[in-house]
Amino acid sequence: MELTPEKLRLIPMVVLIVIGCFGLLNSKTMLRSLLALDVIDTATISIFVLIAATAGSQTPIVSATRYNAYSDPYPQAIILTAIVIGFATQALLCAIALRLGRRSPMLRYRDLEK
Amino acid sequence: MLLGYAAASFQYIGTDVAYQFTLVGEGGIQFSVDAYSFPLIFGSCITLLIVFGLFLKRFSHYYYQICLVLLTALLISFTTVDLVSMFISLELLGFSAFLLIADRNDKKSLFNAFQYLIGGGIAMLIYLIGVVQAFTFTGSFLLEDLVKAPETALCLIVAGLLTKSGVFLCGLWVPNIYSHANCQSSAVLAGCVTCAGIAPIARMSQILNPISDSMVVIGVISAVIAAIYAVFERESGRALGWSSVSQLGIAILSPTYACSYAMQHGICKALLFSTLVSGSQSSQSEESLSHATNHNLGSKIPPAQELMRVVVFIVASLSIMGFPLLAGFITKNWVKYDIPYEAKIIFATTTLLTSTVYARLIFDRLSTFIKQYRRDLSLSSSRLLKYFRDIFATPTNYILLISVVSLVVASFTAPELVTFTSVQSAVISAILGGILFVSVVGIQADEFVKPITRTLDLVGAPFLVAALLLANLIYLKI
Repeated sequence: MELTPEKLRLIPMVVLIVIGCFGLLNSKTMLRSLLALDVIDTATISIFVLIAATAGSQTPIVSATRYNAYSDPYPQAIILTAIVIGFATQALLCAIALRLGRRSPMLRYRDLEK
Repeated sequence: MLLGYAAASFQYIGTDVAYQFTLVGEGGIQFSVDAYSFPLIFGSCITLLIVFGLFLKRFSHYYYQICLVLLTALLISFTTVDLVSMFISLELLGFSAFLLIADRNDKKSLFNAFQYLIGGGIAMLIYLIGVVQAFTFTGSFLLEDLVKAPETALCLIVAGLLTKSGVFLCGLWVPNIYSHANCQSSAVLAGCVTCAGIAPIARMSQILNPISDSMVVIGVISAVIAAIYAVFERESGRALGWSSVSQLGIAILSPTYACSYAMQHGICKALLFSTLVSGSQSSQSEESLSHATNHNLGSKIPPAQELMRVVVFIVASLSIMGFPLLAGFITKNWVKYDIPYEAKIIFATTTLLTSTVYARLIFDRLSTFIKQYRRDLSLSSSRLLKYFRDIFATPTNYILLISVVSLVVASFTAPELVTFTSVQSAVISAILGGILFVSVVGIQADEFVKPITRTLDLVGAPFLVAALLLANLIYLKI
């Protein structure tokens, strides 16, 4: 498997995913795992955007001036939904954290898992 | 509306009707309503109907609304052949399940809901990464194009789906949540939500050989280990959760009958959860289901209704055990004739362990019932008449009665399966289950199985399964 520029561009995203997983598995409090989930979410979205841009980075809109390197609109359209869903997950988790935080303000798993 | 869906899908179960359509014209979103989706649609509609009927008094309009959203998500996930719409529907399902769990609104169930959502979120992200990798190789998001996708992508996708359907290792959240949610919520969760992952997995293992081979391995592991956990679990709610994990493990063994099996199991589980605790104190209880069974004090409902609930509980348990003349017997035999030879002995083991679990549950339920109503159970004829009148007094009893009758009637749909050997084996396994239960009672006295509640375990499980699947597909090739 040779390393093409397209694959090289994906490396930072993979690193981000690894960081996020590490954070998720090592977090001691609820808020940190929430943030880690957000990091993984962002990395996944960026992978989608980068893969859509392999063919070119021009906006796929037909106008008077024609380009010849358009980016693929299909993954970009799909990732919009994933962005919204990620946002909704974050919002719900924050609501739960707020609710649980009244009882135990530190939100530590050690206290909550009893 | 639910009845309409159920009737329409029931009509097509077993026939080979396949109807494909595409939304938004050429290149739109494809749906396929076929043999995989009919049993599941029927099952989830019936489950929701049962729950609506039994718990009507305790429903807020808010709860009702969530259930309808849940139904929408379920219908999408049963019929879609598109990876991205499956992602959306599974996320929607996750949200509504989360709201159902958090409906109880105490600290424990809120925390469990948090764990479920964060575990489901990470599973869906793993799934999404798999999808994008498949997309770079195939250029489309259709399920049938996954044949050309690399192994890594398949592993990631399947790990995500398995977590949602609650098969072992990924399904560690199941027992926690079932024991800490309201009983109506756990009935809905057990009946519908876990089925959602089954349809895509069955579709995938039909067209992809490596996946179906690894599914047999995962299903076997899940079935046996979860059943063992269920045997040694003392709380009824958690035991039901573990047995649910094991039953779904059996369901993914054979792609052809997975949906029918999941349907039967879902309906029975919904009935079990609705009748697990007696009606009077389940409305008021602050504790979890298991604790509630120990405090049967003030009973307001008539004994006839309570008796009805116990009967339904027993019939549903027997059906899951695969007792003859019930629906579970038929589906169990379908799966039995379909799975590869090596898996059969393990299937038999699981059946045995399952019967042990349910023997215990039936015993518990009966003993609490008898303790509670010892005085009322005299057998004078005037009393009996009064009981009969009580049975036909409330709509709840009608629903329970109809469900029992239909469980029995469903067994006559495939009369050719009722051979002497299969009946014999089913009865023997049930009796052996009872004997095993008696021998295991002593071990259950002390804390044998620790409940798995750590978030790390719940979150890390999908990664582990993805890694194992990858290792299996590339190196071991089981």
